[in-house]
Amino acid sequence: MLDSTELGDRRDLSADVCIVGAGAAGISMALALADSGLEVLLLESGGLDTEADTQALYAGSVADPRMHSPPDRYRQRRFGGSTTIWGGRCMPFDAIDFEARDYLPHSGWPIGLDALLPYYPEANKLVEAGEYAYQAGNAFTRKLAPMMRGFTSEDFSADTLERFSCPTDFGRRYAHKLRAAQRVRVLLHANVTELHLGESGHMVEAATVRNLAGQHLRVSARWFVLASGGLEVARLLLASRSQDPRGIGNAHDVVGRYYMCHIAGTIGTLSFDGPDAQVWHGYDVADDGTYCRRRLALKADAQRRLGIGNFIARLHHPRITDPAHRTGILSLLFLARAFIPYEYGKRLHGEEGASFGTWMQHCRNVLMDAFGTAGFLWHWLRDRTLAERKFPSIIVHPRVPRYSLDFHAEQEPNPESRVTLGEEVDALGMPRLVVDWRYTHGDVETVRRSLLLLARDIQHSGIGRFDYDPNSVEFEMTRYGAYGGHHIGTTRMGTDPRSSVVDADCRVHGVDNLYIASAAVFPTSSQANPTLTVVALALRLANHLKTQARRVVPLFPNEVQRSGPRPQGESPAPADTMRAVS
Amino acid sequence: MSGAIRAPRRVLVLGADGFIGRRVLEALGGCDWAHPIAAGRRIAAQPAADGEAERIRLDATDEQALVKVLRNVDAVVNCVAGKAQTIIDNGHALFAAAENSGRPRIVHLSTMSVYGSATGVVDETSRLHGDLGAYCVAKLTAEYNALHYRRSVILRPGCVYGPGSPQWSGRIAGWLRAGRIGDLGIAGDGWSNLVHVDDVVQAVLRSLTREVEGEIFNLAQPSPPTWNEYFLRYGKALGCVPVQRISARKLKLETRLLAPPLKVAERLGRRFGLHDLPDAIPSSLLGLFRQEIRLDVRKASERLGMRWTPLKQGIEQTAAWYRTGEREARAIEGRIA
Repeated sequence: MLDSTELGDRRDLSADVCIVGAGAAGISMALALADSGLEVLLLESGGLDTEADTQALYAGSVADPRMHSPPDRYRQRRFGGSTTIWGGRCMPFDAIDFEARDYLPHSGWPIGLDALLPYYPEANKLVEAGEYAYQAGNAFTRKLAPMMRGFTSEDFSADTLERFSCPTDFGRRYAHKLRAAQRVRVLLHANVTELHLGESGHMVEAATVRNLAGQHLRVSARWFVLASGGLEVARLLLASRSQDPRGIGNAHDVVGRYYMCHIAGTIGTLSFDGPDAQVWHGYDVADDGTYCRRRLALKADAQRRLGIGNFIARLHHPRITDPAHRTGILSLLFLARAFIPYEYGKRLHGEEGASFGTWMQHCRNVLMDAFGTAGFLWHWLRDRTLAERKFPSIIVHPRVPRYSLDFHAEQEPNPESRVTLGEEVDALGMPRLVVDWRYTHGDVETVRRSLLLLARDIQHSGIGRFDYDPNSVEFEMTRYGAYGGHHIGTTRMGTDPRSSVVDADCRVHGVDNLYIASAAVFPTSSQANPTLTVVALALRLANHLKTQARRVVPLFPNEVQRSGPRPQGESPAPADTMRAVS
Repeated sequence: MSGAIRAPRRVLVLGADGFIGRRVLEALGGCDWAHPIAAGRRIAAQPAADGEAERIRLDATDEQALVKVLRNVDAVVNCVAGKAQTIIDNGHALFAAAENSGRPRIVHLSTMSVYGSATGVVDETSRLHGDLGAYCVAKLTAEYNALHYRRSVILRPGCVYGPGSPQWSGRIAGWLRAGRIGDLGIAGDGWSNLVHVDDVVQAVLRSLTREVEGEIFNLAQPSPPTWNEYFLRYGKALGCVPVQRISARKLKLETRLLAPPLKVAERLGRRFGLHDLPDAIPSSLLGLFRQEIRLDVRKASERLGMRWTPLKQGIEQTAAWYRTGEREARAIEGRIA
């Protein structure tokens, strides 16, 4: 593991594969390629810890601050990337997510779920989410308490699971493996500010790498892989405009468009008849120790019938900001919101101003529910703060069986939702991003119709009722803007360069040696959190590169001899002028 | 069988009262070509009887005693284990005695520990390191003697698990039961190099009957699980679920705070006849759990024709053995109560 500030006079580095970004995708790829015989150079903008000046390189602007968080939030520019702060929720995409759906504009992947299935189990291991089993029926040998006893629905499944990573910080977890890998070099404080195409325009010849100490170097590689996240990948392609003012891979103005997050919110009140024990909205621990949680998933047939996107919902505690819940721990969270990290605390704030009376009511809740609060704090200290596999989120079992509904839905691809380069530049001279995230009427319909159907099914089941204001759906799904941290679609996958940026192998159209490993390549967003699928795609790409390496045809015979795969046992590239970072 | 040697043969098993020695003896007892002789320091002498091997009391570190015995055997399986000095003395005595007697074939059970702190894939030609303590040096020294004896076959097993394995099955099960180990995260990323005891026995028998004198063989699962994977699978098979993620902090407490007093208690316990005290988890063991060393066993697969026990089968069998032992122990406790 090296640092760009300690390379001395060395200004040129080369490798077989240069991976830009040491987050979930980049580290997974480097690990997968470690024994391939290929020389891998993993470039990371940051260091081993968060550094304010490096993090500031992420700063940019948003068209509507109510709709999207600032670009330097929910992203971490350091070794391990945003896995240093992620929540760890994992689930694979559903088969329907890959289909071209005539009711969902611009949908359809050039690959199906079957292309990712061989990689999901390994991805699941890397994220440390236990066994690859996402149905309660096959993940648990013991019988689980029903999520909602008596609930029957032809349109919703209560059997699908989300499994939780520790959450695993890929940097901390896998640094020792990268250090031990003889053919992998990690270069810290290495910001790629531009990619340079060769004369043909079909090959990336080199990348310019800069650091905040004012040094720069040139990296050449046989293959380049951009793994720097859904926003930064687009930024780098757009900013690489030495040869073409439109940037790389952007001949048809697609880079940065179709930007999606997820549509999420909390709405209504679910009231159940009968005792609380008939409802279970908490976590179940699998035999391998993984926390799992069931949710209500809209089935594929129902999506097709209604002509809407994918949708899931979970039973949730009442809205924290409203002290009417009378729950001590929820009020304590409200009172302590200033000390909770932005990424987790955003939903504690809301847009409504809290009056003095509201604060007093929250204080009263804490005092009146002192034992409940103390018990929760002990649980949190033991199972979250001190635990290595952390209890994933706050679960409050209400005294009466009343819950709110937390939903997470697919956002439809929209070319008008996009990221572009602004006029301002960062400390390295790279243009800053402007984020203009937008949602569509179709997105509102996905949530509206799903909620309607769920309310009907709950009522028909005779277990209780779901009350919500149908007119508030759009407000609630945008109350906190786009779901933070899921940056999807900016370099989408497809077969047509006029409407996509990468092909089915994640290779940028028209550029033979440039690949992207990121949620940026997802043509559609699914209801699923993206990290597991990002890792699966990265593993698939690693496999593709290994295959390419085996069948490589020498374009420049001398070059191949220098950078082609070497058999095991040969010495790694010289690193004598480089000092290792401990 | 190509290169098979004329039967029956008198095969001396040294360390026949140990875990592997006992299993080798049983297996030889079932071979029509072998006349096994069990030897050990604590074994009571007894001539061969129906279905029972001949037994002799023998100090395997006593060269003169060995010379006398080796004159009348065709082959030796050296399963001697114990303290470092015992292993060294046994190595010197056995191979010197062999030179001065009938020069029998000797199948010498060494260990993967001779590779020391090496990482990556290691085959039988890889460099040996004596850098992991006294046991490692002792095994290296014994191997040195074996290497200089022309009629030896050296087996380097990884961690021998299976029914009856005190170290890699019984002890691990106890720790899993107590929640002291589990998914160790980074600390359990090393390759376990597990090898089923039946596979070790199989390798011994084939080393006795094939033309492999002067050869060395690594023995381990061809695709071994990591320690984390082993603990998860074994824990599940034992019913110790959910298998806990053990934090680095807890492991530090185990090795730095808990291990020293437990070690002292164990020694005192031995003196006063207390055998049910919990085992300490030594820091050296945690080093092994992290060590990314992987035995290349292609040579054993090819030359010895090994058919490795599938891990799933081995783990289930081992868990069943452990559970039976627990039930029996509880029954005995119940009767005493």
